[in-house]
Amino acid sequence: MADPYEILGVSRDAKADEIRTAFRGLAKKNHPDLHPGDKAAEARFKDIASAYAIIGDEAKRALFDSGKIDATGADIHQAPPRESYRQHAEAGPGFKYDRPWGNGPGGADDDLFAELFGRRGKANLRGADINYTFAITFMEAINGAKKRVVMADGKALDITIPAGLKDGQTMRLRGQGQPGVNGGEAGDVLVEIHVEPHPHFRREGNDIVATLLVTLGEALAGAKVPVETVSGSVTLSIPKGSETGTKLRLRGKGVPSKGGTGDHFAELKVVLPAKPDDAFVQSIVDWEKQHPYDPRTGQGVKS
Amino acid sequence: MISQSELVNTIEVLDADTLQRWVEWGWVLPGCDTGTLHFDPSDVARVRLICELHYELRIEEGSMPVVLSLMDQLYATRRALGALSSAVAAEPADVRSRIASLVDRQRHSE
Repeated sequence: MADPYEILGVSRDAKADEIRTAFRGLAKKNHPDLHPGDKAAEARFKDIASAYAIIGDEAKRALFDSGKIDATGADIHQAPPRESYRQHAEAGPGFKYDRPWGNGPGGADDDLFAELFGRRGKANLRGADINYTFAITFMEAINGAKKRVVMADGKALDITIPAGLKDGQTMRLRGQGQPGVNGGEAGDVLVEIHVEPHPHFRREGNDIVATLLVTLGEALAGAKVPVETVSGSVTLSIPKGSETGTKLRLRGKGVPSKGGTGDHFAELKVVLPAKPDDAFVQSIVDWEKQHPYDPRTGQGVKS
Repeated sequence: MISQSELVNTIEVLDADTLQRWVEWGWVLPGCDTGTLHFDPSDVARVRLICELHYELRIEEGSMPVVLSLMDQLYATRRALGALSSAVAAEPADVRSRIASLVDRQRHSE
């Protein structure tokens, strides 16, 4: 590698300011992003950046001047490797920075191929779509909601979440994306909506399934108990002799939907008393002796 | 994909307010997920480039849109030409040579 002073074209006793000025001048002339495709300029820019990395830095310059590091000492000299913007910008079609910068003269609004393929005049290009993801609560998805989202560019958009929206559904906000080119229509904003799970309710299509805890007495004798549904509290009749796992339907208490509101299914779970006393337990054991029954019959369990 | 703060930590000269401003001006177009910005490798490389242009080459923020606009146009043009070249390259040899001679004539006629 050549002498960094020579590369930057400064004398060995140049002041820091002179070196910086020289670097800027050369960098402007050779920056690869300002000269795409010019391999020579790219190579020169690398040398310039490496040279400046040494003598543009007081400490490293002192080391170099005193001969403690030489001009080929790779790990100290070379400019830190950086991913060039160019490899992205030239990577392929549909690059997102390929966009209008205003429609004034010189704006990127010429379609090179318009004339070639018979599209006379300037082409109208539709602006790019912008993708956005957004999370709402379970109840917001059921009942619908108005949400304000702030886009990357600071623009706020009001979104009306329709009642009954499903997890992962995408909403299209027409014309809110990147502006179009040359009179072309603007792109859209595509908002993908994620629904957070609910601690109590589970959704199956437009039906809601929820566990309903009942006491032993309620399950045996039947009862009227309050049930929380997505549309409020209702009273449900538990039939006499209901088991754990019994599903009771509350018609029309599920997710509102144009095609017919879903149902609420209360899945019963019988809960034993928290602190059964000995007399209670003994009475049950005695009763079972009088009226033996085997719930495992037919389950292949051999006793 | 990295977050706004990760990006600020990666680039020494960059601070959060400056990055925020550049995003608002549309110089960088990060993705946005539930209000959080995320930068893909091309965004990161672009921010690095803007940092070089601004902090090393001293291009003022007021002049930057001109530079970025010209640069974006140049890359868009190069990609368009690349696409055209590939299309031509897929043609039979006689078509290619006819196009080549026509292009030559165009470029040297005036």
